Amino acid sequence: MSGKKKKGFQLNERQLGYLMVAPALILIFAVTLWPVAQSFYNSMFDYRLNDPTRNQTTLSYQIDLERYADNYFYFERDVDSLAAADEEAADTAENIRSTIDDYHQQIVDSDSIGDQFAEVDQMVMEFDPVTDDDLRYGSINNDFSESYIDALEDVSEMLTSLSDQTEDEQVQEAVNSLDGTVDQIDRSMIRPNFIGLSNYATYLTEARTWQSLWNTVFFTVVSVFFELTIGLAVALVINRAFIGRGAVRAAVLIPWAIPTAVSAMMWSYLYDGQFGIIAHYFEQLGLISDASVLLSTGSGAMFSIILADVWKTMPYMALLLLAGLQTISGSLYEAAEVDGAGRFQQFLYITLPMLKSAILVALLFRTLDAFRVFDLIYVLTGGGPANATESISVYAYQVLFAQQNFGEGSVLSVITFVSVAIISVIFIKLIGSDLFDDKKA
Amino acid sequence: MRKKAGIWFYVFLSIFIFVTMFPFLWVFLTSIRPVNEIYSGFDWFTTNPSLQSYINAFETRPLLLYMWNSIAVSTLTTVLAISVASLSAYAVTRLPIKFKGTILGIVLAAAMFPQIAIISPIFNLIQSLGLRNSYLGLVIPYITISLPLAIWILATFFKKIPFELEESAKLDGATPFQTFRKIIFPLAAPGVFTTAILVFIAAWNEYLFALTINSDDNWRTIPVGLSMYQSEFTIPWGDITAATVVVTIPIVIVVLIFQRRIVAGLTSGSVKE
Repeated sequence: MSGKKKKGFQLNERQLGYLMVAPALILIFAVTLWPVAQSFYNSMFDYRLNDPTRNQTTLSYQIDLERYADNYFYFERDVDSLAAADEEAADTAENIRSTIDDYHQQIVDSDSIGDQFAEVDQMVMEFDPVTDDDLRYGSINNDFSESYIDALEDVSEMLTSLSDQTEDEQVQEAVNSLDGTVDQIDRSMIRPNFIGLSNYATYLTEARTWQSLWNTVFFTVVSVFFELTIGLAVALVINRAFIGRGAVRAAVLIPWAIPTAVSAMMWSYLYDGQFGIIAHYFEQLGLISDASVLLSTGSGAMFSIILADVWKTMPYMALLLLAGLQTISGSLYEAAEVDGAGRFQQFLYITLPMLKSAILVALLFRTLDAFRVFDLIYVLTGGGPANATESISVYAYQVLFAQQNFGEGSVLSVITFVSVAIISVIFIKLIGSDLFDDKKA
Repeated sequence: MRKKAGIWFYVFLSIFIFVTMFPFLWVFLTSIRPVNEIYSGFDWFTTNPSLQSYINAFETRPLLLYMWNSIAVSTLTTVLAISVASLSAYAVTRLPIKFKGTILGIVLAAAMFPQIAIISPIFNLIQSLGLRNSYLGLVIPYITISLPLAIWILATFFKKIPFELEESAKLDGATPFQTFRKIIFPLAAPGVFTTAILVFIAAWNEYLFALTINSDDNWRTIPVGLSMYQSEFTIPWGDITAATVVVTIPIVIVVLIFQRRIVAGLTSGSVKE
């Protein structure tokens, strides 16, 4: 049966159903599931964007043809001048020439990159830079590359011993120049940058990783705790009929609706050590010793970030809990009152159990959100002072994009992903199946 | 249970609103001060208000361009995400397909993925498609990020529509897709609209992707553009506060007009009725 839908052709309901979920699933697969797998794969490579020999992940040898062609040209010149410098050295030079030429000829004759090499060689001769990476880098057989590299290293050893033996300055100069060129040819062979789990070994033993994980956990636990308790208190208080509900709703929604980066900019002004009003009032009230403490000390900066986050998301939490509160039937409280239950007992035995699923869902999403905090910290403190507020996302961003190190940065990405997965599993165990029952039905 | 609201309640309410609104209030008061007054004291009100900071904010950086970029990216994201999500939500709630639990599970799991875990492969993908510094380069990841939220909320709205309507449409000879397009989708319009507002706000606020993918100043969105006002040596608080006020006003208007819908959308997924 053809998958194309044309006028007149009717799909049955089930086929239509699959067709309708397909676009969403394809997008989710391509833009979230596949990239996570890719991050994990990248984390096992020495993969740096700013280094042309390591800017892609590869399991096989490659050759930088521009560099190779360029240096092979010098090689011929250098080996000639060595042969001319001294009679004794001439033998060695011929020996070297025949070894390297043998390998070189194999590249020139190669079916896979022979033509590509010829084209690059032509461009090098005309001093045209090779800007097309597909043209510049060719893949070569792993066995051939390894034996070529061995041969180049042998040549290098021969040259070193020759240089040790001779006193003649002219010979030494020729040897050094040739040795340098051979080294350059060696470097044009790009080794596979697969390094297994050694990036993990580096980062899992590094203090900064654990510091950033700890900062993230601390931030998440403290801010979510205050958001929940204050949010619940506010929800309980405003769960009644009163004039001005609209004003409260707007006051609650505006901090939630503005971009985090914008609120972070606002708070960085309010906290500023010289001109910030909050810093100024805190100093006057004696809460802090000096107005600059808020952003220039580790604990001050952590406090500032948590306060800004609570300000932004507590109202949202209150809103979710208020909606939960409004579904609790008033008759429950009336019955409890008849039975002589006090306010506190009503809260403990009616409100909390009835709110349990609303609280857990709100907690799950807030915890995950807080754990991946990026923009608030990046804009407000940049992770400083001295990495005291650096979250794992901020650290990963620094390694990925500031250092352009996609291999090592991906390790931190994977660590974040695994932490989030663990948190989700714990919460879903806690919430149990009752949340998802009705969705599956 | 409806408690009566007494005087202390209104006192509490006023304090609560004042505290949540204080940062905006202070930022606004700073933005209308003459520039030299900003750096000279903590008086609440200025005696000679000035619009100089606003003029500076528009002159030093292309604020209008940032806003336009944000509007374009968020609108495109909203339209595309809602189209894709409403199809899925409809299929999952009202068509007899298998693996509904698995599909919703995948959608929910995708909502939990931290963005930092996917940013570098997405960056490579967008780069290789030649879409860096373009609207589409941001729209593609944004659609996907907002899909879980959109599908989830739309599914709750679709479920509320009575099934009898579909059955009578079927009796009248409508195909399943016609039923979706002509009956269910229009009836769910308020829910669709609510979801659209939430998706729009989420796209408007996104920072990490906008920062890495559209790094050219001409393609920056509001959140990234605003965070670039700080220069290395001085922090022009006048410009920053003025720009903040300018970008906050549209959000305040949207929130004031649609607050009921936003609350309905935010709470629809989390509260069982």
